[in-house]
Amino acid sequence: MKKRSLFIQFLLYVLLVIVMLFFIGPIVWFFMLSIRPALTNRTIPPTVIFKPTFEYFYYCFINPGVSLKYLISSLIVSFGSSLLSLPFSILSSYAISRFEFKGKNFITLFYLSLFFGPPVAYLIPYFLIVSRIGLAGTYLSMILIYQTFTIPFSILIMKGFFDEVPVEIEEAAMIDGTDRLGALIRVVIPISLPGIIVSSLFAFVFSWNNAVFPLVLSGYTTKPLPIGTFNFFATTGVAWNNIAVTSVITMLPPMIIFMVLGKYIVRGLTFGAIK
Amino acid sequence: MPKIKYRFLPYLYVLPSMLILMIIIIYPLCFSLYYSFQHWNLQTSPFPGGFVGFANYINVFKDQTFIQSFVNTFKLSFPIVIIEFVLGLGIALLFNEKLKGGNLFRALLIMPITIAPMVTGFLFRYLFYKNGLISYILSLIGIQIPNEGILGNAITAFLAIAFTDIWQWTPFFAIILFAGLQSIPIQLNEAAEIDGASFSQILWYISLPHMKFVILFTAMIRFAITFNLFDIIKAETMGGPGTATRTLSYNLYYEGLVNYNIGYSFAIAWIMIFTIIIIVNVFIKFTFKPEEL
Repeated sequence: MKKRSLFIQFLLYVLLVIVMLFFIGPIVWFFMLSIRPALTNRTIPPTVIFKPTFEYFYYCFINPGVSLKYLISSLIVSFGSSLLSLPFSILSSYAISRFEFKGKNFITLFYLSLFFGPPVAYLIPYFLIVSRIGLAGTYLSMILIYQTFTIPFSILIMKGFFDEVPVEIEEAAMIDGTDRLGALIRVVIPISLPGIIVSSLFAFVFSWNNAVFPLVLSGYTTKPLPIGTFNFFATTGVAWNNIAVTSVITMLPPMIIFMVLGKYIVRGLTFGAIK
Repeated sequence: MPKIKYRFLPYLYVLPSMLILMIIIIYPLCFSLYYSFQHWNLQTSPFPGGFVGFANYINVFKDQTFIQSFVNTFKLSFPIVIIEFVLGLGIALLFNEKLKGGNLFRALLIMPITIAPMVTGFLFRYLFYKNGLISYILSLIGIQIPNEGILGNAITAFLAIAFTDIWQWTPFFAIILFAGLQSIPIQLNEAAEIDGASFSQILWYISLPHMKFVILFTAMIRFAITFNLFDIIKAETMGGPGTATRTLSYNLYYEGLVNYNIGYSFAIAWIMIFTIIIIVNVFIKFTFKPEEL
């Protein structure tokens, strides 16, 4: 590529810094809110330098730990839904990767189409059905409806990884006396374990970040973090520092996981359509 | 790769996931279609009140709030996706200049995407607050802020929602388009440069056509997701002030789970589903050739 002149390069750098300030600045400002004394919350001009305090973190997560139960709910629901999706998506994804069969394209399109549907549209009838059978407010009710995105997502991502496993290895295992399911469990799954982990991590993040379903489905004791945060918007006043602390804890796991996923991000964000 | 033909085995493998999806999606959807033709308001009775034909659907179209949320949804989703694409392309091209430290910036740019949209809503509710950072910055550059605050005014609250979504999802386009730019063979660009092609010519005749599938697919995902926009609205404006920032999803939620007008909300849900099906199909028909899918 052509070398740009020094002046143009300088301008490009300035532009890069502006872009970064725009996208990262708000996050930094919110992190600052979680450790700033409440007195400096709403001064004009805004207070940039202050003595950091961890009292809100202490209040929310240690004593009395009002947000702790939300954190536990978030963990249960996200782990639960990404684990539950595994057996279903591995089987289905393997079939789509390995076999030719009538209706395969239709099935793949069906999975893909689930990402375009309005979640609230099936949330309301789902909620009524779940209430009727006494599951309202349970972790299970949330874990089940999360499968509407974890299963199709995992199927589409894993297919790419299964495609990369040479079919000869499986055939060798099958000649050695195991059947197809045995070959899948003993050969294909171990080889594509990295891919399965990648897809589970994405499924975990999507479950963790979902707030539409639990807004309606979670009960008093099963609220995950984003829903619990609403409790800080009280009529007596908005506890902004507590909101920020709880939000920061909500933000950290996905940020860390995305940093780890590195080169798989594009693949994950486009449901495996773009590699 | 050689594919093996089996008769029943593939279906056996696909069956469990199809079955569970039938139970959690298809059954509720059928349930809602059935009851969208009945009168059912949980505030007056726990039980459906009998068939009313298309009355719910007709009432939906007579409802000013619904019309407003319908218009809002379109006014948000189309411009947002276009703006995100243009900004994202600009950032991707900037990264493509291979500036020193660009890798670090690129790694950081993923951060907005990783945040739960509900939390993004809280974040910007804080930033747009009356004495918040954005109001302050705007006052510094001399932009008048409405007395009721940015989120208290119908027009500025609407812009604030759009701004929030653009902030969160522009990096999505930037990262995917950068990957797309990277996948263009370098010889192609070099040959064009030797032939004296300008930057914009390379972009228009080589880069964009090369990334056509990537761009269209990404735009389609983004359109569907903004069309269903809910989290940010719930956390940032609650559809307010009044009903000014209600989207279709928020209006549906409000009718169904706040007003408990179940039959009526099911009619909204099905109107929404039909709308998105039509748009996605038109989109596919006009942009993809059949062999590309």
